[in-house]
Amino acid sequence: MAYAMDLQYLNWKVYLENPAEAEPHEWFKVLNGWIPDSPEVFVDVADYQHVQDGPVVILVGHYLNLSLDHTGRRLGLLYDYKHPMEGSNEEKLKSGLLGLLRAAKRLEDESGFGKKPKFKAGELRFIVNSRAVAPNSAETLDAVKPELAKVLARAFGEGAFAIEHIADPRQRFMVQVKATGNPSLADLIQRLA
Amino acid sequence: MKALDLVSSPAAAYWKQLLSDRVNPKWREDIDNFETDIVLKKRGKIEDKLFAETRLRMGAYGQRYDNGHRHDGNESRTIPFPTDLNKGPETKWDAPGMERIKLPWGGMTAQQLEVIAELAEEYSDSILHVTTRQDIQLHYIHIENCPSMFRRLAAVGITTREACGNSVRNVTACPIAGVCRDEAFDITGYANAVFAYLLGHPDVQDFGRKFKIALSGCKHNPCGLTNIHDLGLIAAVRRQPDGSIKRGFEFYVGGGLGAVTYDAKLFTDFVAEDEVLALTQATCRVFARLGEKKKRHRARIKFLVADMGIDKFREAVLEERAKLPADPRWTDFLATLPKFDEKAARPAGKGIPKTNDAAFDFWCLTNVYPQKQDGFATVTVTLPMGDITSNQARGLASIARKYIQDTMRTTVEQNIVLRFVSESDLYDLYKDLATIDLHQAGAASIVDITACPGTDTCKLGVSSSRGLAAELRTRLATKFVQMDEAVRNLRIKVSGCFNSCGQQHIADIGFFGISRNVGGYIVPHFQMVLGGQFANNGGTYGLAVGGIASKAIPAAIDKLLDLYLTRKNKGETFRAWVERTGKAVIMQSLGDVTAVPAYDADKSFYTDWGSVREYNVKDKGIGECAGEVVSLTDFGLKAADREVFEAQLKFDTGDWQTGAALAYKAMVYAAQGLVKMYNIDVPDDPEKVMAEWKERFYDTQKFFDPFAGPRFAQFYIHAHEQRGAQLDKEKASRLLQEALLFIEAAHSCNLRLSMGIEKGKDGIAADIKAAGAKPAKA
Repeated sequence: MAYAMDLQYLNWKVYLENPAEAEPHEWFKVLNGWIPDSPEVFVDVADYQHVQDGPVVILVGHYLNLSLDHTGRRLGLLYDYKHPMEGSNEEKLKSGLLGLLRAAKRLEDESGFGKKPKFKAGELRFIVNSRAVAPNSAETLDAVKPELAKVLARAFGEGAFAIEHIADPRQRFMVQVKATGNPSLADLIQRLA
Repeated sequence: MKALDLVSSPAAAYWKQLLSDRVNPKWREDIDNFETDIVLKKRGKIEDKLFAETRLRMGAYGQRYDNGHRHDGNESRTIPFPTDLNKGPETKWDAPGMERIKLPWGGMTAQQLEVIAELAEEYSDSILHVTTRQDIQLHYIHIENCPSMFRRLAAVGITTREACGNSVRNVTACPIAGVCRDEAFDITGYANAVFAYLLGHPDVQDFGRKFKIALSGCKHNPCGLTNIHDLGLIAAVRRQPDGSIKRGFEFYVGGGLGAVTYDAKLFTDFVAEDEVLALTQATCRVFARLGEKKKRHRARIKFLVADMGIDKFREAVLEERAKLPADPRWTDFLATLPKFDEKAARPAGKGIPKTNDAAFDFWCLTNVYPQKQDGFATVTVTLPMGDITSNQARGLASIARKYIQDTMRTTVEQNIVLRFVSESDLYDLYKDLATIDLHQAGAASIVDITACPGTDTCKLGVSSSRGLAAELRTRLATKFVQMDEAVRNLRIKVSGCFNSCGQQHIADIGFFGISRNVGGYIVPHFQMVLGGQFANNGGTYGLAVGGIASKAIPAAIDKLLDLYLTRKNKGETFRAWVERTGKAVIMQSLGDVTAVPAYDADKSFYTDWGSVREYNVKDKGIGECAGEVVSLTDFGLKAADREVFEAQLKFDTGDWQTGAALAYKAMVYAAQGLVKMYNIDVPDDPEKVMAEWKERFYDTQKFFDPFAGPRFAQFYIHAHEQRGAQLDKEKASRLLQEALLFIEAAHSCNLRLSMGIEKGKDGIAADIKAAGAKPAKA
């Protein structure tokens, strides 16, 4: 039986369609350009091109980080909300997912890239970035799944997605989400907003 | 959606409840107290300065932009942090900071590595950074997450106490202690005893500055770098009259890098193992009692030892030692030494496996050290710029469990070693490391570049040390395998400023960040330091030979290496070649590749490595003599550069008296150049130059560095007072280094003033104040 869980520290990731085309130097420049005049409290951009299986370029903020991320050896955009939030789990899940999708859309529309990034909106990774809040267990999956499914249903449509639990006990709680269709970022944003 | 309080979050409460019984009670008390301090600070019950030292002593450091301002290339902008609270003078509460995790002697278990990986993921940016003191640092940490981090670390036997602040920093030691073929004995247990005894000890709580200790296992091929430490211990043995062997240490004090380097002084050539803690304690007490407290830049023990002289210092310490009440811990640890004897997880091998894998063979050449224990090897896992991701760290922990028994250590060259690997397992281990991309060859070679954080995250950084290191590493790696061995084994170390965290003085080729005015634009530069020695405990320091624009350095390195290879005598080391050739010839030979193109010809030189912003190009200065490209001040500074270079050449030939005189003269030129901003008729008389400079630049604090305050100004005043005095080699060398720093400070002062920055009554220029600088204290 599922138990009540206050979801916090939510991460969402969307993958790049053509990861080989990503130029970290361009991301570094573009994300630096997001700092001035941003409604978010962004502080710095860090360059980690020299390491593997982790962040590549990361825009560091007070409340959230955004990064070109290679964790799990798949390149994508990671949205990491670092502070606990008020509200229902559904609201928090929706807020984080919308934050990711809007950032991805902004990147797709950026003029600073030689080849503009294109994201696979139909495949997402969801992570709870706290082993205290959400141990990576079947119990956590049971607790999270109903509200997560509700938000995903709103985005992709009822029954139009699958959730797969990544059950590695050394990792944080994470699931892979795959939509059956091929939605666009704009579609998802519109449905969730 | 509103964000909530972190320190009282359910996640924080979870760790507190879960781990309270698993933590050493003393450490638990430290953490609980710190958590309370956070709450009290938020309520305004603790003053900023006190809280700053409190958090520093728990390893929580500030980072760049922690003053709440960031220059975006056009202007300095305020970062709109949600609260106005500070966690130290001018350090914003909400600004992400760095957490330094102490690993005594670099020792680390697989479980500890996994926990740090988890912390990096949950509170930082999934990057673990190994430092030049065998620590691991996590960046972009919110102060309110620290208590949870500390509890999770303490539960696996790690404390961050005194990782920063004015106390005993991480005790470092040779990473191959216990497996080294040259060591007198394994110093690991002794290093741990020094750490454990001094941690939180009342006698180390009242220092004016930090105190760094290192232990080395042997005299003849040592790698503990004792020469650069406040206190250095080198293992030694003495045969007793009864024929038994007594263990002990050569005991050194007063070494150090920093802005001005000092060689450690031999205090005694043998202190017995049962006396070493007592003598260390007495040394700490003398440092606490007699060391400088007010002038921060003079507050390291190296200054005390130099001022007192080693004989008087020794006398004071021995007197203090005689008064110390006996402490059983001075010898209790001896019984625990056997627990530091490491065991292998697998049977001894019979030589390195023969394969057809050339990459493996090459990796064995650079990254595998045959231990004194037959059939076992120590493997260096090279981490680019000391970085490893959380997933890689977990992978490395698994590999460690598979092949060895918790015998990992971090190194001061920002790598991790796996000890007691069976030789038979080397190829399998190599392939496993490849699965996590940690199988790169080149440990302790020209591609294994050490770099401090520099302008990436350090608020003192002048130039991008990591940016330069990354660029050099990428370029050199492409030709690494084909390189001549004489070049391949050189070391490069880079610091973002003069403070030497990257240990550039003990590299064959070192750099530290400076900036220069070129045609009215500020251009990021590095001073190049040649001929330092990492071996022999950091036995010889290199000397700065000249500033090179950051973007010109890769070409300069190529040319330098080419010069060495084509002009060296057979078997001649790089250091010997530098000494024989002379810095003037070397710099002259590099001339064409170090030229900085005009701004309009190549703007790339005006942006630092790893940056997208032009290096303060919008702050283009308006010179004192409007309309002139080169001001009289620029001419004066140029003369100072030239003179100090001549001083170095004299020093190289052994004529340090003339070298010292020229170094002082160079300082006069620099001061005179600055004075010419206001009085172009200032005479050449050194007394008059000093009088005018003092009135216009010292008394007004215009010369004072925003962070170092009057430190560099005082170098000139001191040199002026001492001029004409007979100096020994060491003092002359110090004067030379101080002259270099004074001249760099004069360049910086010229830049600040040419940008129209004027100081307020508190001595801080307006835009520097906007960036959060503190008033300098004279």
